[in-house]
Amino acid sequence: MADVVFMTEESNSTIIDRTFQMVESVIHQPHGSVALVFLIGVIFGGIIQYTRVDKFEKIAGFSMLKDTIIPKMLFLTIGITSIALYFMIDAGQAHYHVKPIILQGLIIGGILFGSAMAILGKCPGTGPVSIAEGRIDVLVGAIGGLFGGLVFTLYYDDFFKPLMGESLGKTILPDFFKGNEDITALVFGVLVIIIAIAIPKRELFDEADLSQLPDDQRPDKK
Amino acid sequence: MTNRLPWWMGGILMSGLLLLTFSIYGADRPIGASTYVPYFAGLIFDLDPEKYVYLKEIKNPGAWEGIMLLGVLFGGFITSVFITKSFRFSLIPSGWKTYKNSSVVSRLLWSFFAGFIMIIGARLAGGCTSGHFMSGMSQLAISSMVFGTVVMISLLITGKFFYNTKDK
Repeated sequence: MADVVFMTEESNSTIIDRTFQMVESVIHQPHGSVALVFLIGVIFGGIIQYTRVDKFEKIAGFSMLKDTIIPKMLFLTIGITSIALYFMIDAGQAHYHVKPIILQGLIIGGILFGSAMAILGKCPGTGPVSIAEGRIDVLVGAIGGLFGGLVFTLYYDDFFKPLMGESLGKTILPDFFKGNEDITALVFGVLVIIIAIAIPKRELFDEADLSQLPDDQRPDKK
Repeated sequence: MTNRLPWWMGGILMSGLLLLTFSIYGADRPIGASTYVPYFAGLIFDLDPEKYVYLKEIKNPGAWEGIMLLGVLFGGFITSVFITKSFRFSLIPSGWKTYKNSSVVSRLLWSFFAGFIMIIGARLAGGCTSGHFMSGMSQLAISSMVFGTVVMISLLITGKFFYNTKDK
């Protein structure tokens, strides 16, 4: 830790060097130009901000079942994307990037991640959007996250990697329904969209946001 | 309400962005938003990427998500200043005051702790809400369905016991 507190000119330039290496790495990857990747981020941040799903009242509110915008939007996104993506992959326009079934990692990680999401009221995708709109508490959460990333990296070989367990493969749902793969994908997508629409809409509002609006535009007074 | 998109519009736009990112004309990969954290931890704490197995593993996806993160910060900032007009400095959310307490110290300590276990959890599972839940379930991946189910249950149980929702 000491070298962080007493940052010398030398380690300073290391960070700059490594930032350049980050850009260079993306240039050499076959995953879009630096400009495109940045633009994907801008749109991602814009959608999250414009729909207000980064708000504490949305994610923590969902954990209290007082707000259901998060699951509605999430499931609708998954439903539409799963159908379109399945047929895009079929046509060779995209590829699978499925994560392995590491049961212990998924379950222990999911428990930690879910409770952290309820307490912080953010996830790693929505957190930066909140930081960008001035939420200092989320910045503190991100610093906690950096230490989490540090501990994970330092103890990966000895502790975390064994804890994750063996991979049971990269199975996808249609693998269980051989011969009916297309129907499976279609049924899954439609079901998830129906779930998104069927979840009753509940909203928890933030007075600090509402007070910025004229009375006739306040959604809580309609 | 003029300064907010409805959930269904958000879902449709997010699908479009995911499909663009997945497609061979876009980035030919899923969107992810938690690998960048250990990547930046390596950068900030000056860990040698050749020495640590994990940093070697995430070298490419970490850099990709790092650039995307810069875009997220920029997009979030511009949208909050010009469109939603929600930019303001704040230390404690209104909802925390209503359902937990009004102590800034409590909020900041819990934030730090939650951020810490959030990243440990995401890296153990191999993804977060974006990479696993959204991108993974869109690929019909069983691993992501397991993760999504566990996260939902854990989120709801924590919410029930962590906050005081009675009489409010």
